[in-house]
Amino acid sequence: MKNPYIPKLARITDIRDETPDTKTFCIALSDGQRDFRFSPGQFVELTVFGYGEAPFSISSSPMCTDHFELTIRKMGTVTSALFRLGINSVIGIRGPLGKGWPIEKMKNRDVLIIGVGIGLAPLRPLIEYIIANRKDFGKVVLMYGARTPADLVYKYEFSRWSQNIEVHLTVDVGDETWKGRVGVVTVLFDEIDVDPKTTIALQCGPPIMMHFVTKKLKELGFPDDSIYLSLERLMKCGMGFCGRCTISGRYVCKEGPVFCYSEIRGFLERAV
Amino acid sequence: MVASFSSSFSEKASKVDKIFILHKKNLHSLVQTILKHYRVIGPMKINGNVFFRELKEADELFLEYKGHTRLPPKRYFLPEKEVLFSYEIKGNEVIIKDHLEYLKDYKAVLIGIHPCDIQALNILDKVFISEFEDPYYTTRRKNTLIIGLTCNEPSEYCFCYFTRSGPNINDGYDLLLTDLGDMYLVEVGSSQGKSFIDQFSMFFDKADPQLLKKKEEKINSLVKQMQKLGLPFFNEIYSTMVNAFYDDFWEDLGRMCLACGKCNYSCPTCYCFDVQEESEPDLTEGRRIRRWDSCHFLSFTRVASGEIFRKDRTSRVKQRIYHKLVYSVNNIGTISCVGCGRCIETCTANIDIRDVVKNLMKR
Repeated sequence: MKNPYIPKLARITDIRDETPDTKTFCIALSDGQRDFRFSPGQFVELTVFGYGEAPFSISSSPMCTDHFELTIRKMGTVTSALFRLGINSVIGIRGPLGKGWPIEKMKNRDVLIIGVGIGLAPLRPLIEYIIANRKDFGKVVLMYGARTPADLVYKYEFSRWSQNIEVHLTVDVGDETWKGRVGVVTVLFDEIDVDPKTTIALQCGPPIMMHFVTKKLKELGFPDDSIYLSLERLMKCGMGFCGRCTISGRYVCKEGPVFCYSEIRGFLERAV
Repeated sequence: MVASFSSSFSEKASKVDKIFILHKKNLHSLVQTILKHYRVIGPMKINGNVFFRELKEADELFLEYKGHTRLPPKRYFLPEKEVLFSYEIKGNEVIIKDHLEYLKDYKAVLIGIHPCDIQALNILDKVFISEFEDPYYTTRRKNTLIIGLTCNEPSEYCFCYFTRSGPNINDGYDLLLTDLGDMYLVEVGSSQGKSFIDQFSMFFDKADPQLLKKKEEKINSLVKQMQKLGLPFFNEIYSTMVNAFYDDFWEDLGRMCLACGKCNYSCPTCYCFDVQEESEPDLTEGRRIRRWDSCHFLSFTRVASGEIFRKDRTSRVKQRIYHKLVYSVNNIGTISCVGCGRCIETCTANIDIRDVVKNLMKR
């Protein structure tokens, strides 16, 4: 019998600094597997041997299958150990796991993508997918916010993305270099023009942000089934056993992390 | 070779034409004989309490326990601590060892398990053998023959009649014993159970179908005894529970609960676990382990950012009860309380799930 708890060995092939506390790790599986396929919004469990395992959203383009990227903020035991590793270090990977963004449902519709901080990580594969298949989607708008200009991830992508989709940025606190908007991500609603009837909204960020964004989307007239959220919980086993990630008994690891707001609204426990 | 899988999806042998007798005077030699072929796990009296343990001698078996053992037999399928795999780190190379190998020759008999605990295994099957399969649970489960035993007498905490998991049970066992005085009636529940009887046929005798009638009378008297508790059937209170989620009552319960997690550990269907790393200080080797966890602990929902999703005790005391009576129904189509009463017996704060349900029904 196959043991799904055992990770595949992989190597770090590149490391990019994103912000003072966030890096993007490029990873290739060691067994020479060149068809690592996943859908945008899925995650992997990453092992730093000797320290443990933690879940991370895949943040690279799904079109690229010979390696993938994880954008990670230094936070706990596993991430601190990971940040000490260099290129070519061996790590373990299980996955891809979970269910991602509703790409089929999004086709031929307008798309509003809302991310805050490192919450842009699971949205980046989606943005790349949309850009690669641009004619399948209508108007596409990205609203992205971070605490300070230094905390924005994927800064090097914004100009390329802007050629294909509308990109709106804001920071909570600006600095002398920042010429853009200042304020939480919801301030960007006043500069975008989306039709709630034709648009599907996708968001990822801290629970408090998703709470207010969802509230705002409802005010604008978005129906519940046009709002999708990627939820963060502690997914330990990733297979619907360990119970750590459940909300109202629903396994975020197996049934999510992406949920439709119409489902979330039916949860007994509050999800955001 | 026994490959028992006595759960909902295993084949069910037709019951009525497959009954036998095990005379009590033969029990000792039967157990002594099977000890040569299997690990035998059964109830054992230890310092006045009854626990499931691996037997070394047939004498250790204690089948006359009332109601339930102190702890359920789940540790023989989901041990309180288990190594999932281990590894050696040699420079920039890692060599992984699969610990499933250690279960290669696993072959066990679990004897003396009451209907509530059999139903608990049926429930765990639905969790661990679904879209994904937990290989450790599945391997132990498939290689453990279940010899159940109906109760002689419920304990003061038992209410299995109201969770529809006792005092009789119809599936989940390979063999089911019922104490009828100087003999046990043996009902065959699976082809593996029948093979077991064939293999050890010298200990079993043909049974008169009238004995089923005697069993029925015994079960009926247990039912009558339990009906006095006057509880609702727990599988029929789903909507009451859903509607009561924001009831103030839970705040009172949250104040009573000590969040010690004993109810989780003593519950035959609580399966949540933590995954941890154990490594040598010089980082030359390590192990990925899992340990039983408790939804009553603050750490249960803590994520790396420090956010705790069930911070107040009320939300945690609710979590376990809603998992049993609502979330399980949504996920696996059945409640996951089997009425064994262990959580009631063990609770330091005197929280009694029977009173919780009664209270909510009145509101």
